[in-house]
This record gives sequence, C-alpha cells and structure tokens, in this order.
Amino acid sequence: MNDGGFAQFLAPLLRGTELTLMLVAVSGVVGTILGLVFGMARICPVPPLRWVAAVYINFLRGQPVLIILLFIYFALPLLFPAATFNRGFTAIVGLSIYAGAYMAEIFRGSIEAIPKGQEEAAEALGMGYFNKFRYVILPQAMKIAVPPAIGFLISLVKASALVSVIGFVELTQAGHIISNINQEPLQTFLVVAVLYFIVSYPISLLGRWYERRLA
Amino acid sequence: MTFYFGDILPYLPVLLHALWISVYVTLIGFAAGSVAGVLISLARSSGVRALSASAGVYIEIFRNTPLLVQLYLIYFGLGQVGINFNPFWSAVVGLTLNNAAYTAEIFRAGFESVPAGLREAASALGMTPVQNFRYVVLKPAVRNVLPSLTNQLIVLFLFSSVGSVIALPELTNELSNINSLTNRTLETFTYGAVLYYLVSVAMAMSSRLAEKTLFRW
Repeated sequence: MNDGGFAQFLAPLLRGTELTLMLVAVSGVVGTILGLVFGMARICPVPPLRWVAAVYINFLRGQPVLIILLFIYFALPLLFPAATFNRGFTAIVGLSIYAGAYMAEIFRGSIEAIPKGQEEAAEALGMGYFNKFRYVILPQAMKIAVPPAIGFLISLVKASALVSVIGFVELTQAGHIISNINQEPLQTFLVVAVLYFIVSYPISLLGRWYERRLA
Repeated sequence: MTFYFGDILPYLPVLLHALWISVYVTLIGFAAGSVAGVLISLARSSGVRALSASAGVYIEIFRNTPLLVQLYLIYFGLGQVGINFNPFWSAVVGLTLNNAAYTAEIFRAGFESVPAGLREAASALGMTPVQNFRYVVLKPAVRNVLPSLTNQLIVLFLFSSVGSVIALPELTNELSNINSLTNRTLETFTYGAVLYYLVSVAMAMSSRLAEKTLFRW
C-alpha cells in the first residue's frame, strides 16, 4: 500500500503531535501544581503532612511511568468503580501524578536552596507562614526551579509517548498505526522522531538560554 | 471488596526472574552506555570541530526523542533494512545508545569539575595524556558526579519497562501476562510496583555505599 506516498500520512502524524502537545501542556500544569503542593508539604511544620508527601514523592519516583499508567487504567477501576477512566483521562492523570512527584522534588530543592536568613528575616518582620512563602521564599525559589523544571518538561514530552501503550492515539501511537498500514516502520518512526525533536529541542534551547541569562 | 494477594504468590518466582531480566538489561545498557558516554564526552570537549559537532548532534538527538520511539526504530525500523535484532538485543542496543547521550553530559560536567592544576601537575610529572586521564582525572570526576550517575541508573532501570512494548520478557511484560492469566489486576500490579520500588531504593543505597567505600581517599 504505497499509492499516495508518505505525504498522506503526514496529516495524522501532525494531529498526533497536537495531541502530544496537549497532553504535555495539561499534565505539565497539573503536575506543577501537584509538585508545589507536595513539595511544600514535604518540608512543612506538620509531621503527618510531611509523611504523606514523602510517601507520594518517594514511591512515585520509584515507579516506571508505564506501571503508573497500567495501574490507573486497569487496576484503579477495581478499587474505585467510579474511577473508570477513558484513555485520554488516564493519560492525563498518569502523567500528572508522575510529573507531580518529580516537580515536588524540584520545588523542595529550590526552597531549601534559599538561605535560612531570608526566612528568619521574614519572620522577624512578623510575616505569617503564608505571607512568608508568598512574598519572600517562593519568588526566589521559582527562579532556581526554572532550569530543572524545563529539564523535566523535556522528560515529560518523552514520557508522554508511553500513553500509546494504553491505546491513546498521540504521536507515537499514530506512528504505530501508520506503520502497520504502510509496512514502513523505518520511515514512519523516523518522521515521528523528527516531530518529537521539533517539539522538544526548542524547550532545551529555552532552558539553556534561561540558564545563561541567570549566570 | 476482597483482595487475593495470595493468588499471585505462586507467580513470584516468574516475577523475580522477569525482574532479573529488567535489572540485567539495565546493567548492560548502563555499563556499555557509560563507556560510550565517556568517549562521547571526550569527543565533545576534544576541540576537534568535526568530532565535537557530531558528539553534540548525537547527544541532542537521543536526549530529545522518546526511548519508545528509539526502540521502535531499532526493533521494527532496522528490520525493514535487513538488520534484525531480537527483543533482548533491541532493548540492550536501545538502552545503551540512550544512556550514552545522558552519561556523556554527566561525565562532561565531571571532567570539568576536576581542577586544571591536577592535570597540569600530572603532565609536569611526565604522564602521557592517556595516563593522565586514567590515573588522575577519571576517579575524582566520577566521584563528583556519582549522584547524577546513580539517578541516571535508576531512571534507566525504570525506563527498561518500555522494553515490554517490544515483547522483552522483563517485569512489566510479565506483569501483563500474569494479569491476563489470573485477572487479579490490582494485586498483580501492586506486586510489580513494590518490586520496582525496592530495586530503585536498593540502587540508591548501593550508590551511597560505593561513595563511602570505592571512592574514599
């Protein structure tokens, strides 16, 4: 089946790229919020919160993305019948909690990198816990967190390829389907790889540019 | 709701064997990829334009495309031009090439962290560049980046699960098999999650041990 040439497959691959971008954007945002919450909980003064956050972060960071996705897709509905997710939702939930665990460590590291004197100065000024973080610690920590967060965003783009395994048709799965039709996996996956590169490389450049600017 | 974790126990030997395959491909990929990574990082900072440019291109390509797509290209793509790797070798080749791109950057940072004075002292003592690298630069460089290398080893181990997609009978693949055999989905994947967790913790711990024993001076 080679009549229309490869050009006919370009549109579905671009559509797949679009869905990959959408997945990464949504799970990147949700993961960042989860990461901020769990990263702050990990070092907050309330012990039980710290424990919960530590379990979430350490356990999830010890899991392959694939196991997280398979667990949510196949096992979670048995635990909570209400949590029967379709493929797209599974993909977003799985990638989000994966991103959350890694982002939490990035935020924790950035917060801990802020000199203790900043916190003490804020307390000496009579700031409460919330104000101290909102106006003193977090604005500085965010700047430190940007380069590793950009690094993780690239990992997230690549990890998003794994949702193809539960059958969600993003870029990799689109390539898989097409290679089954045209029987030309080499060409097809080379194009898929190029499309990933086009998505991911500008993010790498952005990260490098930001780091140079900070230095 | 009742769970039957006992139902999966008879499969534990099968799971442990599959886990061993995961660890095995990871260790081969990490070792071979680290050697390649050292060479690539040396090429990258060699000052020879063609060498450092091709090392840079290699690193960017492998760091900016998913491992899954790399494995598809090796397993399905190369088959199209007559190069047939079985799942095991596809995974080994894929993990090695992928790991090399990451370790190359880690080693480069490591080599840069060794003070120039050490290298100059060694060459003043009449050491050849090879001796200089082997006996003076390598050890402190590796020690300085040991945490990053460990992190990379754990990430590589977790991503070896991607081998399941090209039918490598490693842990994730075996979990899917046992899941379809027993229909004990939650129990099966819980065992898998615990096994992955334990091995990644063990890897982190042995790295800390190595830091205290192998790299003491």
